[in-house]
Amino acid sequence: MITVNYFGNIAEAVQSDSETLAQKSMSLTDLLALLDSKYAIGHFPFQVAINRKIVSKNQAVTISEADEVALLPPFAGG
Amino acid sequence: MERFQRQIILQGIGISGQQKLKASRVLVVGAGGLGCAVLPYLAAAGIGKIGIVDGDKIEESNLHRQILYSTEQVGLYKTSEAAQDLVKKNPGLEVLVFEEFLTAKNAAEIFSDFDLIIDATDNLFIRYVIDDTCIACGKPFVYGSIHQFQGQVSVFNFEGGPTYRDIFPEDNKSAPNCAEAGVLGTTVGLIGMLQANEAMKIILGIGEVLSGKLLIYNLLNNTQQVFEFGNVPKPKKPHISESFEIISPEEALLGDSILLDVRELGELPEVSLETVLHIPLSTLEKEFSSLDKSAEIRIFCQSGIRSRKAADLLARKGFEKLKLIRGGAKDLLNADRSRKTEKTSF
Repeated sequence: MITVNYFGNIAEAVQSDSETLAQKSMSLTDLLALLDSKYAIGHFPFQVAINRKIVSKNQAVTISEADEVALLPPFAGG
Repeated sequence: MERFQRQIILQGIGISGQQKLKASRVLVVGAGGLGCAVLPYLAAAGIGKIGIVDGDKIEESNLHRQILYSTEQVGLYKTSEAAQDLVKKNPGLEVLVFEEFLTAKNAAEIFSDFDLIIDATDNLFIRYVIDDTCIACGKPFVYGSIHQFQGQVSVFNFEGGPTYRDIFPEDNKSAPNCAEAGVLGTTVGLIGMLQANEAMKIILGIGEVLSGKLLIYNLLNNTQQVFEFGNVPKPKKPHISESFEIISPEEALLGDSILLDVRELGELPEVSLETVLHIPLSTLEKEFSSLDKSAEIRIFCQSGIRSRKAADLLARKGFEKLKLIRGGAKDLLNADRSRKTEKTSF
């Protein structure tokens, strides 16, 4: 299972702070495409972190079971 | 001194830490929810000089979270009202008020008077202006921002570390501010206080600064997560000039180290203190051998630009104990004058 954590306005769009996906392994590109088809996350600016390390969205990286992915949008309130 | 006694006794602060706070100059951009938490803590802690930039007036809908202001102040400018409150907290504080919004045009000039910038705005566009200006003038900034019950804190452009653009490149997608998304006073209060805390750590040189890291605090479930910037270079010791320690004119006058004036001959004002040695930058390459490599050398010029070049040159020649004096000849003279007329006070 892959855990995805959401923050800021993306968490609002997803209506959840976190979810677990049944997939055992998938590329980051496929994961982002899947999430975009479910929640239209492409509308938001955000960065991706895997296991708390921020990586490029375009990086060829495979997400494995037990990995924790986070979608981090910039905040603007103050 | 009694005012700060409880923090002076902390390990890592002491009298020298208190002097660092007193010598520091911090600019807070935005006197709203975050600013109202940042400002009083910095002022009370003994920061020497605080600038406040904000063109807004106090509105009733601000009062639930912008706790520096009260009902009778609605309609007045935030900057001047905040400034009055801060000076009451610490009469030794110098406050500079900029009753205007930060723009790409005025940013460089406003920033020039300060060493550390705190971003307490609620606007993505201005954040890029702050980032760009901090990069251009080599100053770190403490970022804080909130979204509903969550907050983010980070420190950018610190000692060669990543910038805001490194993590959030500018694009046309927008993020909502408080007016659009709603906000609870305790959320901006906590995040603002974390910003003030990072600022003090930077000034005091203690703890681990949130450079190259993004802290996200969820106030609803009290979780804190720190994300590391993996795809940008780690904070590195900067290439040249930034690696020199910068000291205040007041510190420069302590002890009897050489104060090296690298201005050209005849530049005013003349600094004729006993410890001053005058070698213009243009002849330093030839004349450096008259300097003692084992002694500490404190360098100044007119504005701080040539002193960096001089330090670079001397560092290449093998000098190791080099310090830059903040500001220029004028500041050094002012410090010397007030040293003679006043006792040290915080």
